[in-house]
Amino acid sequence: MKRNVAIIGGGQTCHAARRHDVDQAEMVNEAVRAALKDARMTMDEIDLVILGNMEFFEGVHLTDCWLVHGTGAYGKQGVKITTGGTVGATAVCAGAHHVASGLFDKVLCIGFEKQEEGDTGAILSGVANPLWGRSMAGAAVGYFAMMGSSYIANWGATEEHSAMVAVKARQNARKNKYAHLKLDITIEDALNSRMLAWPIRMLDMCPASNGACAMILADEKTAKSRCKKPVWIRAMDTAHNEQFELDWRDVKTKRLIFSRACAGRLYRKLGVDDPAKYFDVFEIYEPATWAELIWYEDLGLCGPGEGFRLIEQGKTNIDGPIPVNPSGGVLSTNCIGASAMLRVWEAALQIRGDAGEHQVPRDVRRALTTAYGGTNWTVMTALSKTLDD
Amino acid sequence: MATKDKEWISIPMTVDVPYKFAAGEYMTKCLTELRDSGRIFAVECPKCKRVQLPPRIVCAECHVKNEKWVELPHEGTLMNFTIMYLPLTDPTTGKPHEPPFVYGSVRLDGATSVLDHMVEVEPDMDKVWVGMRCRLVLRPKEERIGDLSDIRYIEPLPGQKKPQTKSR
Amino acid sequence: MENKTEYKPFEVDQHLTAHGNYWAGKAGSRFYTALRDRKKLLGSPCKACNKVFWPPRSICTFCFSELKDVVEIGPLGTVETFTLVTYAEPIHPRPAPFIYAVIRLDGADTGMAHFLDEVEFGEVTIGMRVQPVFAKDRKGNILDIQYFKPL
Repeated sequence: MKRNVAIIGGGQTCHAARRHDVDQAEMVNEAVRAALKDARMTMDEIDLVILGNMEFFEGVHLTDCWLVHGTGAYGKQGVKITTGGTVGATAVCAGAHHVASGLFDKVLCIGFEKQEEGDTGAILSGVANPLWGRSMAGAAVGYFAMMGSSYIANWGATEEHSAMVAVKARQNARKNKYAHLKLDITIEDALNSRMLAWPIRMLDMCPASNGACAMILADEKTAKSRCKKPVWIRAMDTAHNEQFELDWRDVKTKRLIFSRACAGRLYRKLGVDDPAKYFDVFEIYEPATWAELIWYEDLGLCGPGEGFRLIEQGKTNIDGPIPVNPSGGVLSTNCIGASAMLRVWEAALQIRGDAGEHQVPRDVRRALTTAYGGTNWTVMTALSKTLDD
Repeated sequence: MATKDKEWISIPMTVDVPYKFAAGEYMTKCLTELRDSGRIFAVECPKCKRVQLPPRIVCAECHVKNEKWVELPHEGTLMNFTIMYLPLTDPTTGKPHEPPFVYGSVRLDGATSVLDHMVEVEPDMDKVWVGMRCRLVLRPKEERIGDLSDIRYIEPLPGQKKPQTKSR
Repeated sequence: MENKTEYKPFEVDQHLTAHGNYWAGKAGSRFYTALRDRKKLLGSPCKACNKVFWPPRSICTFCFSELKDVVEIGPLGTVETFTLVTYAEPIHPRPAPFIYAVIRLDGADTGMAHFLDEVEFGEVTIGMRVQPVFAKDRKGNILDIQYFKPL
């Protein structure tokens, strides 16, 4: 990177199924004020505002204009980012690029979702190719179900492994005061929940949450003088899949699909041989349990077909050697526009030692985050405690 | 304060947007043939040899023009499936498919790409499996409009039995 | 290309229908309940900027302060600008032709877009004083004001 970039503050709302008490601007403002307070900054000091939100998910076009009073962007430079589920992390990347370029010193990045207001189902169907597939659009549940189906058929995992992921996520969420689904569930509860699309059950899927997250990025000079615990963004990478090609649900596909391409490049940038040892905590964007198991493998935390062994052996538990999603992950909170940013923010909290009850009990010096969005692309970031880590 | 101050107001609004998409050269051939002759046309990349359906002008991996047309048979292998318990609405008609139904992905013989569609089979794990041989069933010509839904469904080829596996 | 068949360019007609439901939030709910129940119009004052905003909001656009107070504005107002809409659009709440105006309600610093009625287009002037006509059956949305008309 041309200049080093640090996260010097952040904030999030308490994510919920319903936020009838706020309009979109008021909700976004909660996260923005929390971030400014955490960074001990005022809105006047912010050089650039980046808003991440999927177009028309909230039934409003050009939210960056409409929400100017809530985001604090009046008169300021800024852009809106629209990249689907990845948008929160893309906003962080965009913010980091602006700081790294040397053109901006203090950037506010925001991601939000007021899911209850729009018709995300209808708008998401717009992701499908209108000429080939829109009439048969399978919906997210169908696609992840096929991932699970392929995983079971090829590697011999069982529905119980999916339940283990569901339980880990919601039990971790109980330790996270901001999480949406804080559920005291057992494997049996998960296995008894309503079947949506085999093998995906209700508790195997993420919820629809309303919430916002905001982060402040700064250059090295500002970070070192203003922030007690800056968290450094060391590398970022993104990769798209080819929209028409649906083989990302086939666990045996040999093609270099988005998750593997991105992880490979990111690890090369950092010189990572063994990501399970290199990183101390992982916050991955898992809309469904099966995705988490498959992405353990794509991220190189284990070999192909071994993802379900990791969860079986408790390796990815909050107190395990490879902690994944101590925050509860997307399975516990999915405010789409904010979810990817929450991965970065939660990873930063872990590095700062500020994750409270869901802090992983080890010295966290390096974290890896992923984001996921239709039409299958990902954004990954690598964070560290100091520039020497 | 009076409870009226805590009343949260909401305002419903429906937006209906019409679209008209130009299919372009390659999809024009693909959809016209599907509608008029019921034939399935894919393209092959000269470099990586991937046989791509739906056909597209450029191979995304090699960045070269796909020039060779490949007609695909209606037979293929089921690569993936799920049993849907949720009603899925066709967003172009607004009508739902009644659950439970099987939804799967077939790789037509000779193709690299797979195609998602309904699978006309009992939603029973003994009746549908990955690797099952199947074929496309098209709607009658007079009902076809030049869309993926011109394919009515995927159906298993007759006379197959699910292969025995150790765990069973 | 091997196949030399000429194909007529293919076009696909589709549409997307999205059902939204917007929550008005703290400032908005207060405004709409006052309008619906008491036919009162409220604005959001910012002490620091000495401005009163319509639409109501919980944050000052200019100085970012939190706005918790309300102040009554209008009901009378002044036409700041106007136009006559003569074409039909599905989203329009009224059939054309109709007059749109931006009305600065007394006490507010920013305007409200609404209809003008009971007046001919040729009679409307910038600076004209107008009053709201409230709907009989009010639901808690901007059409609880049916239109504005000259004093």
